[in-house]
Amino acid sequence: MNAAPHIQERVLVIDKDAARSALLEQALNDQGYEVVCRLDDTEGLINRVEQIKPDIIIIELDSPDRDVLEHMATLNTHIPRPVVMFAETGDSNTIEQAIQAGVSAYVVDGMSPDRIQSIMDVAAARFREFQALRNELDNVRNELEDHKQLDQAKRLIMKHQNCGEEQAYQAMRKMAMDQGKPMTQIAKNIISVLQMLD
Amino acid sequence: MTILHNPALATPEKQQISLGFLPLLDCAPLVIAKEKGFFSEQGLDVGLSREGSWASIRDKVILGLLDGAQMLAGIPLASSLGLGSPKVPMVTAFNIGLNGNAITLSNPVLEEISTLTDQPMHSAEGLALLIQQRQESNAPKLTMASVYPYSAHNYLLRYWLSAAGIDPDNDLNLTVLPPTQMAQAMKKGQIDGYCAGEPWNLIAREMGVGSAVISGYEIWNNCPDKVFAVTRSWHDAHPASHQALLCALIQAAAWLDQPQHHEEALDLLLKPEYLGPALSILPREQLSLRTTCFFRYAASYPWRSHALWFLYQMQQSGQLNQQIDLKQVACQVYRPDIYREVAHAMRFPHPAIDCKPEGFHSQEWVLQGSGGAVTMGSDLFFNGATFDPNVC
Repeated sequence: MNAAPHIQERVLVIDKDAARSALLEQALNDQGYEVVCRLDDTEGLINRVEQIKPDIIIIELDSPDRDVLEHMATLNTHIPRPVVMFAETGDSNTIEQAIQAGVSAYVVDGMSPDRIQSIMDVAAARFREFQALRNELDNVRNELEDHKQLDQAKRLIMKHQNCGEEQAYQAMRKMAMDQGKPMTQIAKNIISVLQMLD
Repeated sequence: MTILHNPALATPEKQQISLGFLPLLDCAPLVIAKEKGFFSEQGLDVGLSREGSWASIRDKVILGLLDGAQMLAGIPLASSLGLGSPKVPMVTAFNIGLNGNAITLSNPVLEEISTLTDQPMHSAEGLALLIQQRQESNAPKLTMASVYPYSAHNYLLRYWLSAAGIDPDNDLNLTVLPPTQMAQAMKKGQIDGYCAGEPWNLIAREMGVGSAVISGYEIWNNCPDKVFAVTRSWHDAHPASHQALLCALIQAAAWLDQPQHHEEALDLLLKPEYLGPALSILPREQLSLRTTCFFRYAASYPWRSHALWFLYQMQQSGQLNQQIDLKQVACQVYRPDIYREVAHAMRFPHPAIDCKPEGFHSQEWVLQGSGGAVTMGSDLFFNGATFDPNVC
């Protein structure tokens, strides 16, 4: 299904998150595209782009360096121009999806809308996947943190009330039910109050 | 202080509104309108979205992912003309403040100039001598940066250079860098000067890499810089929402104009969801809202003559090559008529005209407006030039 492209577009990926751009490079290679360079540091960006001469630049939507690329695009016609300019001729839905996934691109004139769309789709999918992974990691971290706090609150109660673990736990559950608040919130409150007494 | 009447405007067609901003001090009217409840008083539920670049703001407004945004004044004009973007007509009926920029030169350049001339540094004539000397000795061109191609920063920098006979396109390299990177790039010798908003000029001095030689105010007294803009199709579909937004923004601008509110305003602006992370590198006492004028001198009024000045600079710099009727573009994009409708309902004195000549007033002057007299600020150019919107 994924026939190799006839012409190898030269792709430049600019992303300060090296792990994400590695994931994207792999995905683009699998589709038969050539990622000529990945930049996670944009010092001297204009010179780098002039040397690399990419056909398409994939860049994080929120990167402040996009305004540098906007300047380059005004200088000469062989320099990649903002992908939103191709929204009129190509598929604006693709571009909108990419932007919502946090991806933008700069594209040289003459590249076919199909190719732009295909690269943008791959990039958007990888950005979304990476975001999902990151969210999952954040959730695990938060759960771990909640667990730590519950434990700390329990130990503080045991110390101040001179009671056992089960009793301390039941006291916290009762507070959570009485106040209609989650256990993690109760734990935080207990820590902030009892720590003052320590 | 001006008393603003809370008007009964038509019910907004759309109440859930998403607006974009960049973490710069002059996003203040948007943040204050939200935090002080001016938006909600108008029946609007506004979410503010912090963006990373002007390009991102433009893309999201064009695609409808944002309803409106803080923009460099050149962006709605460029977008309406299809310059550097698809041709999407935009409108602005609110100017976000006057002044706030400055030009900084690096210490090595300042030292070299001081060996050539004892002229004051606020003129670029010393720089012109240095450029000439470097050309004669085949030294590489100097590089100067602004923040975006279609920005007041770019046009003020070019204007300042041109006034001393420097050809900004051939005698040096003009480039673009995010303001956060300017001082660092100067330290590394990658740029020799730049034009940016505060606090990015202060930072160069703080880091000991350069000094501001002239402020934007000195180049052009009370010059415009940024606007609040929406697409024309958004305005056509939501005229009452637009009016409600303008009413809240005007209230925020008037609130910001009072120095006794500045500490509270900084507290709100420095919240983590706004400027907190971007400005955490600076001590708070270095941050000031005083350099920008938000309401007095009709600062929030979208003068069509300001649009014409920007369009004229676009032509001068070669960004705009088509032969077009600049006045027509200025009239389509800058909409003082919408501002006046809101100002009339809010019952405060405001200009009744669309254009004003620039470069004629060296001090405050009085304009007979609608609903009373309006005190206006000085509008001189540093080189004594004038700009008559009827001539260009």
